[in-house]
Amino acid sequence: MPPNNVTMDWATWAFSPSPSAIIVTLLAVLLIPILVHYILYKTQAPRVLPTILLVGPSGGGKTSLLTLFATGHPSQTQTSQSPQSAICQTPSSTSTSSDRYRSENDTSARDQPTFTLLDTPGHGKLRHHALSSLNSTSALKGLIFVLDSAAVSSAANLTEAAEYLHDILLLLQKRHTGAKTSKNAQPIPVLIAANKQDVFTSLPAGLIKQRLEAEITKVRATRSKGLMDSGVGMEGDVGGGSEDAEWLGEFGSAAFGFEQMRECDVEVSVVGGNVRGEGGKGGKVEGWWEWVGGVV
Amino acid sequence: MLDAFTILTTSGIVLFDRSYTSPKLSPHILNSLINDVFIEQHRPAPSSTASSTAPNPSFKKEKYTLRWTSARDVGLIFVAVYQSLLGLSWVEELLQLVKGVFVGRYGDKVKKEGGTGVDCREFGPTFDALVERCDTGTTRRDGAGLSSEGGSEEGEGELTPPSSSASVGEGVEEEPPGLPGLGGRSVSGLGKREVLESTGTSADVTPVPTPEASRPGTPMSKSSGHLVTAKGGPGKLSRRSRKGQVTSPASVASSGDEAIKRTREGGAKAKRRWDADGFATEGDDDAVLDYSAATADNAGEEREVEVEAVNAGDMGSRTGKGQFLLKDLDDEVNAIIASSKQQKQTSRADTISDGPSGLLGTTTSKLSGLFRNVIGGKTLTKDDLRQPLQMMETHLIEKNVAREAAVRLCSSVETDLLNQKTGSFTSIDATIRDSMAKALTRILTPTSSLDLLRNITRTIEKPDARPYVISIVGVNGVGKSTNLSKIAYFLLQNQLRVLVVAGDTFRSGAVEQLRVHVRNLTELSRRERVGSVELFEKGYGKDAATVARDAVAFATNSGKGEMLYDVVLIDTAGRRHNDTRLMSSLTKFGHLANPDKIFMVGEALVGTDSVAQARNFAKEFVDTKGQLRNNGVGMDGFIISKCDTVGDMVGTLVSMVHATGIPVVFLGVGQHYGDLRGLNVGWAVDKLMK
Repeated sequence: MPPNNVTMDWATWAFSPSPSAIIVTLLAVLLIPILVHYILYKTQAPRVLPTILLVGPSGGGKTSLLTLFATGHPSQTQTSQSPQSAICQTPSSTSTSSDRYRSENDTSARDQPTFTLLDTPGHGKLRHHALSSLNSTSALKGLIFVLDSAAVSSAANLTEAAEYLHDILLLLQKRHTGAKTSKNAQPIPVLIAANKQDVFTSLPAGLIKQRLEAEITKVRATRSKGLMDSGVGMEGDVGGGSEDAEWLGEFGSAAFGFEQMRECDVEVSVVGGNVRGEGGKGGKVEGWWEWVGGVV
Repeated sequence: MLDAFTILTTSGIVLFDRSYTSPKLSPHILNSLINDVFIEQHRPAPSSTASSTAPNPSFKKEKYTLRWTSARDVGLIFVAVYQSLLGLSWVEELLQLVKGVFVGRYGDKVKKEGGTGVDCREFGPTFDALVERCDTGTTRRDGAGLSSEGGSEEGEGELTPPSSSASVGEGVEEEPPGLPGLGGRSVSGLGKREVLESTGTSADVTPVPTPEASRPGTPMSKSSGHLVTAKGGPGKLSRRSRKGQVTSPASVASSGDEAIKRTREGGAKAKRRWDADGFATEGDDDAVLDYSAATADNAGEEREVEVEAVNAGDMGSRTGKGQFLLKDLDDEVNAIIASSKQQKQTSRADTISDGPSGLLGTTTSKLSGLFRNVIGGKTLTKDDLRQPLQMMETHLIEKNVAREAAVRLCSSVETDLLNQKTGSFTSIDATIRDSMAKALTRILTPTSSLDLLRNITRTIEKPDARPYVISIVGVNGVGKSTNLSKIAYFLLQNQLRVLVVAGDTFRSGAVEQLRVHVRNLTELSRRERVGSVELFEKGYGKDAATVARDAVAFATNSGKGEMLYDVVLIDTAGRRHNDTRLMSSLTKFGHLANPDKIFMVGEALVGTDSVAQARNFAKEFVDTKGQLRNNGVGMDGFIISKCDTVGDMVGTLVSMVHATGIPVVFLGVGQHYGDLRGLNVGWAVDKLMK
């Protein structure tokens, strides 16, 4: 006597070439992969938004810019002690890079892209947040360097801003030259946002560009002639890096210009604007939104 | 009364702001609090007042005092600003209450959405109610806040304190204590009259001594009014002693934050009386001689003030128009107070009670602890952190970090990590190491890195060119002359003309030593055709400060044409930091030579003495106004010498920076001219954490 009649019957049916069995098998073969696909892709991490990093010397207006971009009106801020991020959406008046691919007669509504804006503290002791975010953030699409247009008319502030900018650009250059495959090194454009243009003593964007370039020339000259770092000589490090690794831009050039950064796929543009307008409303930031739209 | 109250996130966004002065408080006051206390963590020496270690820290800037508290897990800071002249005792309580209520209401939202997504305008009325509850009324301002972020005027009007019918009785009790004892009776009579008049007129605002009274321009002159010169008496007092009497009230001890004493007001103007020597006498003759009564009255009134405050608060909040809101708030606030008392009790109980007892209990707790340690996601308590932090402290001390600095670092790591969750698959140890590396990086990173060449080239450039003066100080035998020659070599390589000044006129052979160095450097620079170097010396026995001044004048060569040298390097004699006579001569040296940079050399081999050395040297360099130079730190940088002899134990770096806040600029790594390096913070932290 067969031990279990029901299972025997069922097994016979399953392996027989009856049409019902074939249909069931077909359905199973087709539906199970689709089910598995849904399950896997539902639990996958959400799509990573493009990230834009905000850096700059202390007092430039980075946190105000973050609040303006995120909520539409700038809130009151004080010195930041820790980084923060916010999800922002480009306003409808801004054209984005995907507009290139739209036909002119296309009247369907375009959805404005969203991106993550990452704000870092500008104080000297807390700059490591910015420098580590540069290297570690995935999907980093652009960098905004915010500085105070009125403060850079003094030599000390100009030097501080230029040194920070020099460090950032050097990091980007090293990232580009040190990339192992061509895939990793995405180009990261840099926007130098000259903030507080509404202040009476502010300098125009073109003048800021010239002054920054002149100051960076001096900074890279003194850096190259300065003392070696303690971390370099003492380890018996071989060579300590070649000479042109620490030199920003074109090696051996007399003056630094932002177009020298094009070699590393780093586009630098200088645009003025102001975060705070009259009576606590937002100011003129259209130039910056345009740049963001082109990048995201 | 408060000047301003702000709630902000650690990332810089202001969530709630209430300002009580009509031009709003300038933001640089709060920014300097954040800079000095939170970021740079300037601490006064432990021997000074206990204000920094007390649970109610305070920060003074210009004429304001700031008190704060922070909610670390949500990332919020609560700051109250008031004038230093007022001694407000209820601000601490207000801060705790506001913190409790705010975190209770908005804490989750802030945590989830960060500072941008939170709208805290409805907090305005609640805040006003809390201020009413805490404010003892002696320095209450006229009406509620003048301006606020998003608060509505009607809301404030509704909440102003209890209606006239209930307040008359209390008002009379509250008012008199505020005024100092100038013939107490008449003044309190005045107070009563004021109260009765104003309650008659308006229904909402309680009668307040007007704001002008609460903050006279020059408190000292007013307070001296009641300790007045004695009249002629038997025999004339000399002019000097009489002047002394007039000005001595200025040294009247002040309680807390220079609590002010309001003078009597109003009524009739007092007649000015002049004595024979031309000094004005104020006040009644009777009151003048009765010194004991005045001070006893004052003390009594102050005590009276505090006792009154408690009573008034309890009674005032339950009656009147604002009843509805305040009652709700009372429940919330009482709950907060009760829970905080309970927390204190349980924490006290925790420290005395043992863990789970019995063999089974301890094994399971150990196993679960081990499990949690591996998997991560554990919320860290004080007990968890105690043992690993102890080990970390020992580790740091083994690396030659001074005990004071190690304790401070460990306590800052503890405050950072308390009640935080460990990440996934990271043990407690790894979390602590990570946090300690961050704390070390933060201490060692300078606020602005020194670019010596840049500063020099800027100073010797054409419009008002002058030589750049650098001087080196330190205790005996740390390597000042050697490191000075290394710096000279570095500058020579950069085509600068250097003048080496033999400022050590005491030690035998010091001048000859420098002469040999200069001879070597001249030879080297001649071979490589760079720069030029000379020695300036005046032999032994002269005053070092005058030698330095002459050297700078010689290098500047003013009036006779171009300056002869670009950089002046001044060597000084080594001196023990606890020898006050020698240390005080450094101040004079600083004034006469007026160096652009003062570097102190410390050797890496020194142990715990490094902290005392750094502090004593830093406090000597004051400028002519008595302010420490270089933004109040004293010196411009440390040069840590003999780093090649200590291997991994470079803890002296941390000790010296901890003691003074001055950054490390150079490291000496050998005994030849080229053995000078800048500081790489990552390298130093690696060595310390190895």
